Amino acid sequence: MSIYYYLSIFLFCLGLLGTILKKDLISMLLCLELMMGGVALLFILFSKSTGFLDAQLMVVFTLIVSACEVAVGLSLIIALYRKKQTIYTDDIKIITE
Amino acid sequence: MAADILLTFITVVFALMVVFSKRTVVAAFSLLMTLLSIAMIYFQLGTVFLSAVQVLINAGAIAILFVFVMMLINLENFTNNREKNKTKLIIATFTVLVILGVLALVINNNIETLSLVNLADNSMKALFEKLFTTYYLPFEMATVLLLAAIVACVVIASHGKKAEEKQ
Amino acid sequence: MLEAIIEILLKTAVILALPLGALPIIIHVERRGAAFIQKRLGPNRVGPLGLLQPLADVAKFMFKEEVHPSHVRPFFYTAAPVVALVVAILPLACIPIFAPIEIFGRSVYPEVFKSDMGIFFAFAASALGSYGILLAGWASNNKYSMLGAIRACAQMVSYELSLSTSLVAMIFLYGSNDIHVMVAEQTGYWFGFLPKWGFFLQPVAAMLFLIGIFAESNRLPFDLAEGESEIVAGYHIEYSSMKFALFFMAEYIHMIALSALFIIMFFGGYSLLPGMELIADRIPASLAILQALSLIIKVASMIWFFVWVRWSFPRFRYDQLMNLGWERLLPIGIANLIVTVLFVYFRNH
Repeated sequence: MSIYYYLSIFLFCLGLLGTILKKDLISMLLCLELMMGGVALLFILFSKSTGFLDAQLMVVFTLIVSACEVAVGLSLIIALYRKKQTIYTDDIKIITE
Repeated sequence: MAADILLTFITVVFALMVVFSKRTVVAAFSLLMTLLSIAMIYFQLGTVFLSAVQVLINAGAIAILFVFVMMLINLENFTNNREKNKTKLIIATFTVLVILGVLALVINNNIETLSLVNLADNSMKALFEKLFTTYYLPFEMATVLLLAAIVACVVIASHGKKAEEKQ
Repeated sequence: MLEAIIEILLKTAVILALPLGALPIIIHVERRGAAFIQKRLGPNRVGPLGLLQPLADVAKFMFKEEVHPSHVRPFFYTAAPVVALVVAILPLACIPIFAPIEIFGRSVYPEVFKSDMGIFFAFAASALGSYGILLAGWASNNKYSMLGAIRACAQMVSYELSLSTSLVAMIFLYGSNDIHVMVAEQTGYWFGFLPKWGFFLQPVAAMLFLIGIFAESNRLPFDLAEGESEIVAGYHIEYSSMKFALFFMAEYIHMIALSALFIIMFFGGYSLLPGMELIADRIPASLAILQALSLIIKVASMIWFFVWVRWSFPRFRYDQLMNLGWERLLPIGIANLIVTVLFVYFRNH
């Protein structure tokens, strides 16, 4: 069962790599979601090993916050796409035009 | 034991597809499959409520949002012929590998105290008793946060449309 | 260990065989029912009363030429009907057809998947229902498909909310989300003749849930996604022969699963129909079969209701649909939830 610990840190680091390397905003958000999945898994494993139920509640709250963040992030991407017709971070160099 | 390794393998495969696939839509559907396999891991660990919540919220709402937005902005029209920055790739990979190594070492040293004896009370009743007594304030604040996020999304997404229509 | 595996395999076979076997009957009932409502004869040539018509349809689907358009994305095009079918069958795994019985000294639960979360599993599984349609619409590389898929997905996500509010109200009322407990609370009679069904306790939640399941399974009056006069055929334009049949099957099985959930929460589930207790009192061994029969009769009447509504109402426009889901049903659902919570609180204190 302890292979899940390694899985959670692997997911976290893979998400981190993806967030750094990807160039378009939606892929970055996807890899961010992957990181949050890894962290939530780690929380549940800690809850299992110490018998502390609070960690599972932390996962629920993390999920709620993650849902809000994804929603707001995606609406920002849509607004950006309407203005600049692009979602690649290389093209968004100038703040005002 | 075999179930653990199988589930881990499936999750790793889909997570690698999320990060390393060339088409963003494939990445989104791989994220959906990753979230579903994480839900299966939660179920195997015994927390059934959290696996239902994970499927409902994460896979049934967040991933749908991603796929929706990708269809709305029609992602295939972008040509992805950006230059690859070799230096950035090498440095990023090296840093993340170092972080992974450090975390793995920490877990390795403490693996006895972290053994997964099933100590927690698995029932939903105990979980919700805690939610509604100790963590009542965060629960209400989460409600307010969701309301704020809904209003923010509507305002942000419709603001650009009004500016577009004015032109 | 071995007997557990055999038990699960047998249960899965039964739970799969029941809807898949009932599917030809439902299709035939739909076509004859539609004809009856529209004052014409339905298919009545193939076999007595046209009962072999579904067989002829299956044969046609199998022998028809599969057209593979060249402009579709190959993997997702083939995967979409399969995903739709699997996700439609999934909620059936947690629905029991009779109360737990004792066979050879061990108690057997009739549902394939028994867990702490009970009825939540069905809702989590039907939350994934939008993916088959979304994949189909996007993979077809066709503007009409995409439009139909996005509209269908938005509709399904919006009506899940009113489904959830009425589900939470019923869970409050029955005190548990275990299906056997829910059905046990609904057995018995008030005043000697009125069955203790949830429909009489919570008519508002029942109406919300009913409208919600019409929207979830994309049936008229909510079938904007596949409306024939508007966007040709919506998300399954590019599909032919067997893949189209899979979509068809997925829609009907989703209908069966959702109406089974409706019956469990509001019409007593597998509790005996009035009048069947006389037989059950005489022959105690037949209780399980009578309960299964009750559930099947109730679900069958629900399916007839689906067919009846389909040919009685015009289709909603998209903005009317969204308006109904968000501005009318959701506030009613939340108000109903508040009233239910107050009622349960004052009942228990």
